[in-house]
Amino acid sequence: MANRIQKSVPMMMILPGLALAIAIIGYPIFDLGWTSMHDVSRFGKLTGFNGGENFAEVFVDPLFWESLWRTGIWTVAVVGGTLAISMPVAMILNDDFHGRGVARVIIMLPWAISLTMTAVVWRWALNGRAGLLNATLMNAGIIDQPIEWLATASTAFVVEILVGILVSIPFTTTILLGGLSSMPQDAYEAAVVDGASGWHQFRYITLPLMKPFINIAIVLNVIYVFNSLPIIWVMTEGGPANGTDILVTYLYKLAFRFGQLGKAAAISLVMFFVLLAFTMLYVALVSRNDRDDAAPEEEVKE
Amino acid sequence: MTHPFRTSTAILALSLGMFGFVPAAMAETIVDFTVAEYSSKTGPFFQEVADAFQAENPDIKINIEVVPWDTLLQRLTTDVAGGSAPDISIIGTRWLLDFASQGVAEPVDSYLTPEFKSTFIDTFMAPGVIDGKTMGLPVAASARAMLVNKDLYDKAGATPPKTWDEFYEASKKLAALPDTFAFGLQGKEIETDAYFYYSLWTHGGDILKADGTSGLDSPEALEAATLYKRMIDEGLTQPSPTNYTREDIFNLFKQGKVGTVFTFPMLIPQIKAEAPDLHYEVLPFPEGKAKATYGVTDTMMMFADSDAKAEAWKFIEFAYKDEWREKFDMGEGFLPVTRNVAALDHFTKDPDVAGFAAGLPYAKFAPIIANWEEIADVTVRTMQQIYLGEVSADEGLKAAAAEINKIRGL
Repeated sequence: MANRIQKSVPMMMILPGLALAIAIIGYPIFDLGWTSMHDVSRFGKLTGFNGGENFAEVFVDPLFWESLWRTGIWTVAVVGGTLAISMPVAMILNDDFHGRGVARVIIMLPWAISLTMTAVVWRWALNGRAGLLNATLMNAGIIDQPIEWLATASTAFVVEILVGILVSIPFTTTILLGGLSSMPQDAYEAAVVDGASGWHQFRYITLPLMKPFINIAIVLNVIYVFNSLPIIWVMTEGGPANGTDILVTYLYKLAFRFGQLGKAAAISLVMFFVLLAFTMLYVALVSRNDRDDAAPEEEVKE
Repeated sequence: MTHPFRTSTAILALSLGMFGFVPAAMAETIVDFTVAEYSSKTGPFFQEVADAFQAENPDIKINIEVVPWDTLLQRLTTDVAGGSAPDISIIGTRWLLDFASQGVAEPVDSYLTPEFKSTFIDTFMAPGVIDGKTMGLPVAASARAMLVNKDLYDKAGATPPKTWDEFYEASKKLAALPDTFAFGLQGKEIETDAYFYYSLWTHGGDILKADGTSGLDSPEALEAATLYKRMIDEGLTQPSPTNYTREDIFNLFKQGKVGTVFTFPMLIPQIKAEAPDLHYEVLPFPEGKAKATYGVTDTMMMFADSDAKAEAWKFIEFAYKDEWREKFDMGEGFLPVTRNVAALDHFTKDPDVAGFAAGLPYAKFAPIIANWEEIADVTVRTMQQIYLGEVSADEGLKAAAAEINKIRGL
C-alpha cells in the first residue's frame, strides 16, 4: 500500500504541470479542429457544421499540394544547408584563436535582428535596379546586367532559401557550440597519439559524440523553418504566380486576405499533424539507433 | 486570436490603478478609431482632428490607432473575431460588402441628417450603399491616370499618346533612348490586377460581364493582355515586371528612367517632394474602344457592436468639416469627396488634380461582390503567369475566368 502511494507521488506531482501543458497546447488544437469542421465567417464566427468539407476542399486544391511540396523542399534545404554551414562554423569558433570573441559575436549578431527586418533588408538589397547586391556584383565585374532576383519563382525561392539558412545559423551554431565545448578532450588526445587525421577525428569522434546536439538542432530547426512566414512573405508574398508559396504563406493568404478561416484552419491542422508525425518518427528513429548503438556495451557489462 | 497587447495593457493599467498611479477616472466615453495609413501624414493629421474635437468635447476621448494598409484587413478581422473591434475605422470600400453581410458594419442612415448627406458628392456615396442602406461614408477617393515624363518624350521625339496604338508607337521611340524604359509595368503585389484593368477597360472589356460571369475570357481582355505581353517581349517595359511593385515603378519614374506610368493622384505630392525637377503631365489613359479610369474609394465605417455610436458619429461629423477635409485631401493628394472642398480653387484649377478628376465621369469602380479579394488574386496570379510566359494570354485568361466563375458560384 505504502509502496503504491510512493509510486503515485511523482505522478501526482507532475499532474498540475501536465494539466497546464494540455490546456495550453491542447485547447488551441482542439479549437482549431473544431473550427476546421465548420463554415466560418471571415470574422471567425462559426456558422454551421460541415463535417470534412473544408478538408475535402483543401485536398482538391492544386495550390495546396504545390505548397506542400514546396514546404518540403524549403524545410529540407534550409535545415540541411544550415547544418552543413553551422557545423564547421561551430568547430572553428570552438578552437582558440585570436579574436574568437569578436567572431562569435559576429556570427550571433543576425539573431538580434527580427526575421522580418532581415527579410525587408534583403528585399531592398535584392531589388533589381536599386539593390545593393546587383550594384556590388556589377562593380566587381561579376555580372554586367542587373539580375532581377525576385522576378521568377525559381530564383526567388533559391534566394529565400539562402536567406533562411543565413538566419538559422546563429541558433544552430549556438546549440552545436554548446555540444562541442562539452566534448571530452582526452578522446582527441588519444586519437592524435594513435595517428588519427583531422578528418578521422571529425568522423569517428566529433560526429558520434555530437549526435544528440545535431538531432536537437534538426528537430527544432525543422519545426521553426516549416512554420516560418516572414522571409517568404516579406520578399515575395508567395509570388510571383504562387511560385514561392509554402503552406504557411498560403494559409495566411487564405485566412487574412480571402477570409476563408475554415479552410485555413484545416490546413493548419494538416501542418500540425505533419510536424507531429515528423517529430515522432524522428525521435523514434533516433532512440532506436541509440539503443542499437548502446546494445553492445550492455552486453559487455553482463 | 486574442490580443496580447491589449490584455497586457489592461493588466498594466489595472496594476497601476491598484497602486494609485492613475489619475481619478473621468466620466469620459472612449471612441476607438482605426486609421488606415495613407502616408506619414495620416496619423498626425487625425490626431490633430481628434485633439481639436476633444477640446470641444472634453467628455469624449478619441483613441486613434494607425494601421498600415497591408495589415489593415487582417487586423480588423482579428479584432472583430476577438471581440475587440474599434468603434469606427477607415476601410477599403471593396471590403464593405463582407463587413455588411456579416452584420459587422452599422447602417448609418439613421444618423445621417439630410444636410450632412448633402455635403458629399453622390458618385462617391454610391459605392457605400448596399441593399439600399448606407453602410459607410466615403473618406478618400482617387481616380487613376497616365503620367508621362515630358522631357523623355521630347528627347525621343514622341508625342504623349491618346490611343493604345499611339502609346505603342511612342513607347518604341522612348525605348530607343539609352538607359530608359518606355513603360513602367507593375507585376508584383497589391494592385497588379488594377494595372491590367486599366488596359482591360479601355479596350472595352470589363471585370464582370453583364450576366455576372468573369470578363477575362472576352476578346477585349485578350487584346489587353496581349498588348502588355508584347510590350514586355519587345523590351518596351522595364525588364521582369514581376519584380516590380507599384512603388518600384513609381521610384523609376521619379528617377526619370521611365517614360510612362499609370498611377494614382497620391504620387504627385511625392514627386513634388522627391523629384521637384521632373517635368510630368497628367493625362487620361490611352483609349482603345472606350474611355475609362479606375475610381477607388475608401469608407469610414461604424461597427455594429460599438457602444459609443452617438459619440463616434459626433466625431465623424466634426472630422468632415471643410477645413479638415481640405487639409486631408491636399495633404494626401486625394480627390475631394465633399462638394465644398471640390469647389476650391486648388481642385478646379490645378492641372494635376484636374487631370485626375477629369476621369471621374467615366470612372469604373471595383465590383461590389463577395470574395472580391480572392478573385483579384486569381487575376494577379494569371497576369504574372502571362508576363513570365508560363502560359499564353489566351490559355491563362480562359483558365482564370473559369476559376473566377467557380468562386462566384456560377
